[in-house]
Amino acid sequence: MADFDCEETKRHVHEYLQAELTEQEMDEITAHLANCDSCEGDYDFEQVFNKVIQRSCTEAPPEELAHRIHDRIRLILDQGHEEAEA
Amino acid sequence: MTTSNNDEQRQMLREFEEHTMPLMPRLLAQARALTNSEQDAQDLVQETYLKAFRAWKQFELGTNLKAWLVKIMKNTNLNNLEKSNRDKTRGSIDELEDWQVGGAESLTARASRSAEAEAMENLPTSTVLKALDTLPAEFREVVLQAIVVGLPYAEIAANMGTPVGTVMSRLHRGKKALRVALAEYAREEGYLNENELETEQE
Repeated sequence: MADFDCEETKRHVHEYLQAELTEQEMDEITAHLANCDSCEGDYDFEQVFNKVIQRSCTEAPPEELAHRIHDRIRLILDQGHEEAEA
Repeated sequence: MTTSNNDEQRQMLREFEEHTMPLMPRLLAQARALTNSEQDAQDLVQETYLKAFRAWKQFELGTNLKAWLVKIMKNTNLNNLEKSNRDKTRGSIDELEDWQVGGAESLTARASRSAEAEAMENLPTSTVLKALDTLPAEFREVVLQAIVVGLPYAEIAANMGTPVGTVMSRLHRGKKALRVALAEYAREEGYLNENELETEQE
């Protein structure tokens, strides 16, 4: 297998962070990162970036959405009664 | 005479909300990965909850509620997709050249990487969601399915009906385009200070 030089290492950043490589490839990249500040900086950046995306997409859903759903269900229930009473 | 019926339904609504509302953050995260925009994601969650409420009597308490809701959501989404037939343009996005989806290098050469990372961490959620909305649908889906839902590439490929290589390339390019959009917002909203940029900026 090809050794992981800087170019190869930088190219595989997403696959590494998503654990989409073989164990051997993961180990080789880990070893490269330990000795290369430039690549390590790239990986750190992408990891921060991933956390920002995760945080933004899982953070508390707008309270207003829960209210909107509650109101819609109440409306369905009320309409159901009107129909039942009509 | 409808009063007891009424009470019963109010009680059912309370029970429904008690069980399902705590799951909303997870559902919304998944909805974002299935749709093109924040608005569509919220609409999908709302539709899912309404359907789930109508079917609530069929749900057996004690079984996996989240799986049940996700199933309703996925079916709802598939129906919506068939209706809107938005796949008309699919396939074209992967043929775009890198310069057309935005290159991050030119921007990152200007801001130091640590300043950019710090600015990104400080951006409000709403800005990040807004930036995600600017991505082409195929990129957005892959970025969210991989990074937020944590699906393996093979599963994303199956979901999208593409080869794994396409998933890889969409993830790379999607993150790149998102990075450009975020750097732009960070600058506009003052999270990325002009002093931290290097001189060659036009």
